[in-house]
Amino acid sequence: MSGAARAREWVNRRERGSSWVIKFCVWIALRLGRRAARFFLYPVCLYFFLSSPAASKASRGYLARVLGRAPRRGDVFRHFLTFASCVLDRVFLLNEQGGWFEIRVHGEEIVRAIEQEGRGCMLFGAHFGSFEVARAVGRRRQDRPISLLMYEENARKIRAALAAINPRLAAEVIGLGRLDSLITVADRLQRGHFIGVLADRNVDGRDLVRYPFLGQEAAFPQGPFRVAMLLQRPVVMMVGVYRGGRTYDVYFETLAEALTARPADPQAWLDGIMRRYVARLEEYCRDAPFNWFNFYDFWS
Amino acid sequence: MNMGAATQTFDEAELASLIVETLNLDVVSGQIDPEAPLYGEGLGLDSIDMLEIALVVSQRFGVKLRADDENNMQIFQSLRSLSKFIQDRRGS
Repeated sequence: MSGAARAREWVNRRERGSSWVIKFCVWIALRLGRRAARFFLYPVCLYFFLSSPAASKASRGYLARVLGRAPRRGDVFRHFLTFASCVLDRVFLLNEQGGWFEIRVHGEEIVRAIEQEGRGCMLFGAHFGSFEVARAVGRRRQDRPISLLMYEENARKIRAALAAINPRLAAEVIGLGRLDSLITVADRLQRGHFIGVLADRNVDGRDLVRYPFLGQEAAFPQGPFRVAMLLQRPVVMMVGVYRGGRTYDVYFETLAEALTARPADPQAWLDGIMRRYVARLEEYCRDAPFNWFNFYDFWS
Repeated sequence: MNMGAATQTFDEAELASLIVETLNLDVVSGQIDPEAPLYGEGLGLDSIDMLEIALVVSQRFGVKLRADDENNMQIFQSLRSLSKFIQDRRGS
């Protein structure tokens, strides 16, 4: 099975498994509040720990690379628990209950400068930590939402889930399934919107390029970076790291300034920017290892 | 040459060669069926390719393409529909 097929399988599996978990968590969470809801994460994680050997195996494979030692059972459980914590916290963030959290923002001046220019940019994230906490920062600061660009299959599911949590947010998801999906992106950027994209995972298997990541080559999609190049917008990385308890760190950093013309050698430009993205992602993994949320064999 | 395909008009031929050049496609521009779908099956273009076409069209012909326009699906349907859209806009 190809890496892309594996990724797709993981997406399907996770969506299937988590629909009742999400509904259950939303219900419990909003009624009991975050502190009480967190108690339920332990049995939920234990359930997944026991029932998803594939996810445990993937977790072990990743943790061995990032920790540089054989992971213990406790490490894998902690990995699951970090993931579940971030999923739960999305419920509060999406319902504008950001008051539960201490969110420390780093590099906000980067976004402010782009805002003042009047045009938006794409914010490059990963399935790492909480993208939602980073989006919440954007929502808190301005009326302009941070839309999310994703594969159509996922977009449909996420829209449905978002509609259940907070219907106003469903419109913020742009699916890649239409011929004019990226024309929509271009237009929103022009009007000053920001558009988040998780650039670590590729589902359709197109435009993959391999880069060394945590000691071995892994495939990353070139598409999102090509879009930033074509639209001549800055490439900004956005990562929300869960530090445990009620604390998140949100980081913005510029990977490339806006181009003023098409680069003489587009492939070289793309290669440079992707190397930087992958290298930074690796550093974030080393800094906060349990925030990595790709529970399938990422290196296959 | 595919005899089943409709013939390109002069404007369509010009647009076809612009598209082939922009996207660096591995086809002869004169052989693009003006009525075949550009996106997906047909010419096999993806949404990034469509974005490139939209950008080059607005640059070359000064025709601005809008997002969330329900007509986009129709405009970008084929070489013929896109060419017609450009000519209409330029004429007005």
